[in-house]
Amino acid sequence: MRLIYLVLFFWITPTYSADTEASIRFGLTAVVLTENLRFLDQWSEYLEHKIDRKVEFVLRKSYREVMDLLDTGDIEFAWICGYPYVQIRKPEFLQLLTVPVYRGAPRYYSYIIVHHKSPYKRFSDLKGKLFAFSDPDSNSGFLYPLVLLAEKGNKPETFFRQTFFTFNHAETVQAVSEQVADGGAVDSYIWEYLAVFKPEITEKTRIIKKSPGFGFPPIVSRVGVNRDTVKLMKDTLENMNQDSTGKILLDRLKLDGFGHFPDSLFNEIRAMANRIQRSDSKYTMSPID
Amino acid sequence: MPIPSPRSWPLSIKLSLTITTVVTVVGFMIGTVMVVQDWKRFHDELGEKALLLSESIAITAPKAILRNDHWSLYLSLKNMASRRPGTGGNHQVITAMILDPEGRVLAHLQPAENPMGLHFSPDKGVEQDLFIRALGTRTPIVLSSGGYSRTGFQEGVVPLFSDQKYMGVVRVRLSVSQLYEKAKSTAAIVLVLILFFVIIGSALGTIVSRRMVKPLTAVTQGLEAVGRGEMTDFAPIPVKERDEIGRLSVTFNQIMAELAEKKMLEEEIAMSEKLIALGRITAGVAHEVNNPLAGLLNCVDTLRKHPDDKKLIDRYLPVIDQGLHRIKDIVHNLLVGLKIEESQETVNIEHVDKLYDLIAAENRDRNIDIIWKNNTDKNLNIPGKIEQIVYNLLKNAVEILPDGGRVAFHMHQSGQHLIIEVSDNGPGIPSNIRNQLFDPFFTTKINGSGLGLWVVYRLVQSMEGIIEVISEKDQGTTFHVAVPIITTRAA
Repeated sequence: MRLIYLVLFFWITPTYSADTEASIRFGLTAVVLTENLRFLDQWSEYLEHKIDRKVEFVLRKSYREVMDLLDTGDIEFAWICGYPYVQIRKPEFLQLLTVPVYRGAPRYYSYIIVHHKSPYKRFSDLKGKLFAFSDPDSNSGFLYPLVLLAEKGNKPETFFRQTFFTFNHAETVQAVSEQVADGGAVDSYIWEYLAVFKPEITEKTRIIKKSPGFGFPPIVSRVGVNRDTVKLMKDTLENMNQDSTGKILLDRLKLDGFGHFPDSLFNEIRAMANRIQRSDSKYTMSPID
Repeated sequence: MPIPSPRSWPLSIKLSLTITTVVTVVGFMIGTVMVVQDWKRFHDELGEKALLLSESIAITAPKAILRNDHWSLYLSLKNMASRRPGTGGNHQVITAMILDPEGRVLAHLQPAENPMGLHFSPDKGVEQDLFIRALGTRTPIVLSSGGYSRTGFQEGVVPLFSDQKYMGVVRVRLSVSQLYEKAKSTAAIVLVLILFFVIIGSALGTIVSRRMVKPLTAVTQGLEAVGRGEMTDFAPIPVKERDEIGRLSVTFNQIMAELAEKKMLEEEIAMSEKLIALGRITAGVAHEVNNPLAGLLNCVDTLRKHPDDKKLIDRYLPVIDQGLHRIKDIVHNLLVGLKIEESQETVNIEHVDKLYDLIAAENRDRNIDIIWKNNTDKNLNIPGKIEQIVYNLLKNAVEILPDGGRVAFHMHQSGQHLIIEVSDNGPGIPSNIRNQLFDPFFTTKINGSGLGLWVVYRLVQSMEGIIEVISEKDQGTTFHVAVPIITTRAA
């Protein structure tokens, strides 16, 4: 009888432990539109169903906060920007998981936008104007315009009359459309996404410069996360385009899918980060260690 | 049709107009006060709301300013302005801004016109003044502009401090336009209410004043009827109230009742006097005719018994003749007295002078002194009745006089009147019989018929003249007659 209880105990335990096992926490930044909570619920449900563990999306305002959560181990996965990804960390606590495929390639651009009624035609026309950056740790929303300025030997504080951060690509679009800022730098993926779902905002903006292609903001895992979990998450994401629910979710994200790509995809961003670091350490991220 | 002067308007109209005016004026005053009070209250509340909104911004603004987070500042203004999507809210944010101590724009709800980082440039004089006041204040204040106009606004101004360092100011401006619409609809409701009360008040006022004035109107109509001499068909005024007008009505009713009674009594008296006069005439005629008749019948009876007695015939025939003449005289005088209205003949005034000879001849043996004075225009034509009047008065005077008495006749014109005076120095008329002087068959003389003065009186009356008697015991008597002669002047 006792044996039966004992067997029952061991039989029950794994189930019990699986239920109580800490949920997988997935950090999201402004690289995607995080306002749609219902979509995030559907996506987490999908992932929970596939991984058989509770998946919890963690939202933070800035990239820096999400990076901090990764560093402290409060989250296991995160969708971050290429710029923080290429930063050198000692010791490295990130590893590339998978890269979204957008319009056939794992690439996106930085758009320099102005108000559609404004007279500005080139980036240099914005001299002495008010410029909105998205996030200080954003490639498309900050690093790229910094490089553009640096190529002509300019700095934001001297080139522009004033600058501010919105910490959100969508809000940068809003700031330009409402003429709070004369110009802004945004993620092409977000701008295009808004052009579909909120065209009334993007219609009031005009793209005056499109950057070369950059590696799409990747999904990373924290070093030290269970290898099986990492593999399960990678496979789940990269196979989303194989089932109908996953396809619906990908369509909502306006992505083709997720794919395995080498780290070299981010070499352009890495080069830009190095260039800025050389010219002025003020605009680089302080090493997180 | 010309409108009569308000002074002659009926009291009921004046009263109801007054009540209507008072109700209207009071209604409008109360309504105005209500609307103004309402407006002031909501206006103050709007100011407090503006201040509250500014303060809500001011809580987070200093930190955002320190972080240089202009986007958050802008979003806080924008979120505040669109706090109640769909409902329209009970306020309308016209504009909102956050300025730094130098007046540069840190955030503005209209960023296109007011670029961040540049100096805020108010255009108008009022705006400039408000800008200076907003930057100058170090305590939260409410700035108002526009007063009662729909373009007015209330602005909540809250200075920003971080660790007691002044960092700028938050200005949130709310439009009064919704308040204005609200006040307008309130005013419309109040106006309708006032009109309603004015109509009700006027109607009540009219009814009340009509009811109050109704007895007065009846009194006035009653008095007018009295003025016209109509009193018999007067209906008493109904008395409902016991106030002054009620008491007036009661008194008036009593007066009218007494007047009506008096008139009735007068009519009764007049009727009985007529009957008395008729009785007296009848009795007089009966008596005066009966007396000679008895004698006459006696004579006739005696003569019938002794038809051949010549002595008796010679003796009674003159008696019968005298009696019949007396009856003839009485009947003649009565006819004169009763048929005077029919006589319209006129005679020359000289006819009167002929009476002197007649009277003198009749009284030749009595030694009566007749003084005759006629000062009238000799061409004057007078009614024939006057001749009779003069004759009767002279005859009356002569008959009362003892032998050797004196009669004075004086006739003259005074304006449109012919004045006749007949005086004697006889014994005078005792005061106790003076009232009966002109009654028919009243006489103090032994052989008098009592019709002479009655005929005079009737003739004078028929000509609308006046007859007066002045007499004192032992001082003689004067008859004074005045008759209008304007209608009888010779053409």
